[in-house]
Amino acid sequence: MAVKKIIIANRNNISFKVLGKKPLLEELYSQGLDIPFGCKYGGCITCAAKLLKGKVDQSSQVALNNRQIKNGYVLLCVAQAITDCIFEVGVESHDKLYRNPFLDKLEPHELKADIVNKNIDEI
Amino acid sequence: MMNNLCCGPGYASPYEATKAPREKILYTIAIYTGTGIQKPDYLATIDVDPESPNFSKIIHRLEMPRIGDELHHMGWNACSSCYNDPNMKRSFLIIPGVRSNNIYIIDTATNPFSPSIYKIIESSEIKLKTNLSGPHTVHCLESKIIISFLGDAKGNAPGGYLLLNKEFDILGRWENSMGEISFSYDFWYQPRYNVMISSEWAAPNTFMPGFDLEEVGHLKYGRRLHIWDFKKREPIQTMYLGEDGLIPLEVKFSHNPNSSHGFCGAALSTNVIHFWRSEEGNWEWEKIIDIDNEPHPDWPIPIPGVMSAILISMDDKYLYLNNWLHGDMRQYDISNPHKPKLTGQIWMGGLLGRAPVVNGVKIAGGPQMFQLSLDGKRLYVTTSLFSTWDNQFYPKMKKLGGAMIMIDCDTINGGMQINENFIVNFGKEPNGPSRCHETRYPGGDCTSDIWL
Ligand code: FES
Repeated sequence: MAVKKIIIANRNNISFKVLGKKPLLEELYSQGLDIPFGCKYGGCITCAAKLLKGKVDQSSQVALNNRQIKNGYVLLCVAQAITDCIFEVGVESHDKLYRNPFLDKLEPHELKADIVNKNIDEI
Repeated sequence: MMNNLCCGPGYASPYEATKAPREKILYTIAIYTGTGIQKPDYLATIDVDPESPNFSKIIHRLEMPRIGDELHHMGWNACSSCYNDPNMKRSFLIIPGVRSNNIYIIDTATNPFSPSIYKIIESSEIKLKTNLSGPHTVHCLESKIIISFLGDAKGNAPGGYLLLNKEFDILGRWENSMGEISFSYDFWYQPRYNVMISSEWAAPNTFMPGFDLEEVGHLKYGRRLHIWDFKKREPIQTMYLGEDGLIPLEVKFSHNPNSSHGFCGAALSTNVIHFWRSEEGNWEWEKIIDIDNEPHPDWPIPIPGVMSAILISMDDKYLYLNNWLHGDMRQYDISNPHKPKLTGQIWMGGLLGRAPVVNGVKIAGGPQMFQLSLDGKRLYVTTSLFSTWDNQFYPKMKKLGGAMIMIDCDTINGGMQINENFIVNFGKEPNGPSRCHETRYPGGDCTSDIWL
């Protein structure tokens, strides 16, 4: 399995090598990157990072809505790197993660995947 | 500590509790989770003794050993339900991390002014033995401790209840059945009626990432209260509150153990629901307080109050509630629980801009958690709700942190007033702005004790 290079843009472009077999949080944390996390199962978005370039598999995440995913957010505690990636991490990367839900509503397709899929099933 | 004349911890009755000595210190949760500061959450000890030179200051900070717990609510290892047990002492605070699922047991007896970690119940052990995550309310129950959890180990609703013994070993799940319950959150029990009542927030996977209004319509948030047969440990009746009870959060019975009356604050509907057992033995409910949404020039729809907490004074005379988004705290006389009377109101922070500065400190956030002194005269109020929700509604809290204010309450005629000599500014903490949440007193408080 090929080694992937992970660059953290907002930490002086520090780079890490990962195998892509384990969640990125685990791989990066064990190599010394200090990032916040909570639940470690993709349910709380504490570990959210912004993917600037590259591809990940985060299919087991259950917390991000489709708007957040479209804006590049990745839950590092469950995401595995498929290619080399560039991330912004930590709360500094969360500018588009939070929105006032009354001022800025989600379109039906922007909701969380389980709701969108359920609606599709019902149609 | 306060009362060692007779027997165990706590007080013989709610009336005795109101006569307890005045609180000298508070324990308040302060968090860094979600703030961008890579430091653990901590338990702040605050000096509230007006005779002390440190009055209104944080005098100790107990850091948790990990980062990212999101400490939230807490509870005592013992309360007045253990009053007849001379072997029991109120000496440990139980503090769950709602995100990490770790539970910290804090020794407050060895040195009340500098509490220490006594034991950690690891997330992995809880998940393995009980398949639970997302801990919330802690209640002492005579020889045991019950903690509500909002989700299973993967963060899906409805969660359940963890049972601990007084050595803080996991005994397993408390409930025999969750019945048809969809969600969990807060609970309270009233033993003389063999009843427990529980409320509904949402699955951890739903509320942890933040609040999406649309998910309320998709039934991802609660709108029911559940009555339990306390001895059989199973739900027996559901109260469907509908639009009047969207997101029913805090639920309390009267302190008087002979009363079947209780109250719940429905956060999103911003209503108070009153429930009681009728003479025929059925559990009934009604909406007794309805806070109107308020217009705001920048908002397309009027702002709901978001009543995230309620509290009942030890003498059961007053109910306190908050409107986190509006920015006001209210006091209602509930002597007639069917017809509450508004008797006091103050403003602190909030989105309506009525009180952006309190006692010289800029308030980001609104009144959120509060704890009342046993004599009912001092209400301590903090401003942060939940890190992700704070970030959505009050993004400035990242820079300004949280604050605690004290409200003087008139227990005879009603009325509230902000105490001008007291403010704790968590925005100026040594490691940077933190956010303050729930508060407890060493001698017991208005949200801990239950009488058998
Ligand atoms: S730590 Fe909770 S989503 Fe990653």
